[in-house]
Amino acid sequence: MTEKIPTYTEAIQRLEAIVALLERGGMGLDETLKLYEEGADLLRLCKTELAAAEGKLNELQLDEIETQLKAEEQ
Amino acid sequence: MTGQGEVTTGPLPIGQFVRLVKQTVVRDPLFKNQALRGEVTQWKQYASGHTYFSLRDQDGQMRAVIWKGRCTIDPSIKEGSEVIVLASLDLYVQRGEIQLNVERIEPVSVLGELEKRKRFLVEQLRNEGELDRPRQAIPLIPQHIAIITGAGSAALSDMQRLIENRWPGLRRTIIGVLVQGPRATEEIVRGLAAARQLSNPNIAKKRGEPPVDLVIVGRGGGSPEDLWAFNLEPVARAIIASPVPIISAVGHESDVLVSDLVADLRASTPSDAIERVVPVLPELHYLLDEFEERLSVASRRQIHDSKQLLSILHARLRVAPMAGLNRAKANILSLASRMKVATHQSFSLQATRLAHFEASLSAIHPQRVLERGYSMTQTSDGTVLSSVKGLEAGQNIILNFADGSADAEIKNTQFNEGEK
Repeated sequence: MTEKIPTYTEAIQRLEAIVALLERGGMGLDETLKLYEEGADLLRLCKTELAAAEGKLNELQLDEIETQLKAEEQ
Repeated sequence: MTGQGEVTTGPLPIGQFVRLVKQTVVRDPLFKNQALRGEVTQWKQYASGHTYFSLRDQDGQMRAVIWKGRCTIDPSIKEGSEVIVLASLDLYVQRGEIQLNVERIEPVSVLGELEKRKRFLVEQLRNEGELDRPRQAIPLIPQHIAIITGAGSAALSDMQRLIENRWPGLRRTIIGVLVQGPRATEEIVRGLAAARQLSNPNIAKKRGEPPVDLVIVGRGGGSPEDLWAFNLEPVARAIIASPVPIISAVGHESDVLVSDLVADLRASTPSDAIERVVPVLPELHYLLDEFEERLSVASRRQIHDSKQLLSILHARLRVAPMAGLNRAKANILSLASRMKVATHQSFSLQATRLAHFEASLSAIHPQRVLERGYSMTQTSDGTVLSSVKGLEAGQNIILNFADGSADAEIKNTQFNEGEK
């Protein structure tokens, strides 16, 4: 089975866990800072992923895309 | 104004024209009481008692109606039944549509040929395990969607509109194919092959775009025969072979096609496919902003708590020696008071002893002795005399009594017998 778990999903899940941990409280300064940095990195990663999903809209007929793909094969 | 029945010279109103066509059509004996053979599709029996359906085969089709009570209908007739009808051609003027008025209907076989083939294919795929194979996960944020559907179709513009509402800038490649008719199967399969190539990282790199990571294949609603390409084996096999997840989005809610059974996700309509896989961008941003806020608030609180804990520890550390001192002080105080009590007790014991002592002392006090009739003799210089030794005649002495004293003169002295 090729179960591809997208990194975005993983990032969001980890973020939830980190925020929950921090909100529960009771941890040392060291651990707090480590978690905060990890969370901030994950947020950056998610935002990058969102930005990367934006792009061109190609609207092509079957023949056109096949011609393009054939040209790229050579 | 042109009233009805008036002779006109201008263009013919369309209604009048359609009525003329109808007269021609219904009069032609070729179109009356024809025995026709075909497959029943879009079979619908209304509460009014009328029954509507289409009669079709590979080459053509026509709408048909069985008016209420016109003939008995075999209860086994249903979608896909092969039937023979006796019917006359009619024209429904309001819509300008030609239809068959059915006088008799008889089933040839319960299942139509196409339906039979579809069932056979489904059975075959099930036996091969393709219906139970694990499905690929749909990416939460698709980086590049390929949409394979009819170019310029209503389904495509519905999907485009929905994407514009949800995430206008989302990267997508639309591959326009024929989705019905004799060439549909082949074009859909070629569209899927093109999408597969676009999902190849090397080809995607050459094209300067991320590889396709999600494919939507589908079309809007139509008659079963319009959708039939999605029931055929080549399309099913191409979907099964896809290296990226495929969503089958064909027809309406109630249409279940072979493509639906083998795809990684079945959407009930093309619009449903978009709603299920294209996230709403503002919602994503909102979610991330919320995480950002919670992360920063919780971290700051944690840091604040740590600082506070530190200052509490600091304060406790500062007062710790004081506490020792205070404890010592209290100790001393308690010792002092215990000492006082102990001393006091000791004092009173001494006092009692003293009183006893005094009492016994007083019993032998000279005064008491004098009171009993004795007297004390002193020389004139105050020396108490306890012996006759040293006294001379003519010496002045003082005799002390309990209530006074008297001066006296020694006449002579003598020792007691045995003393000297």
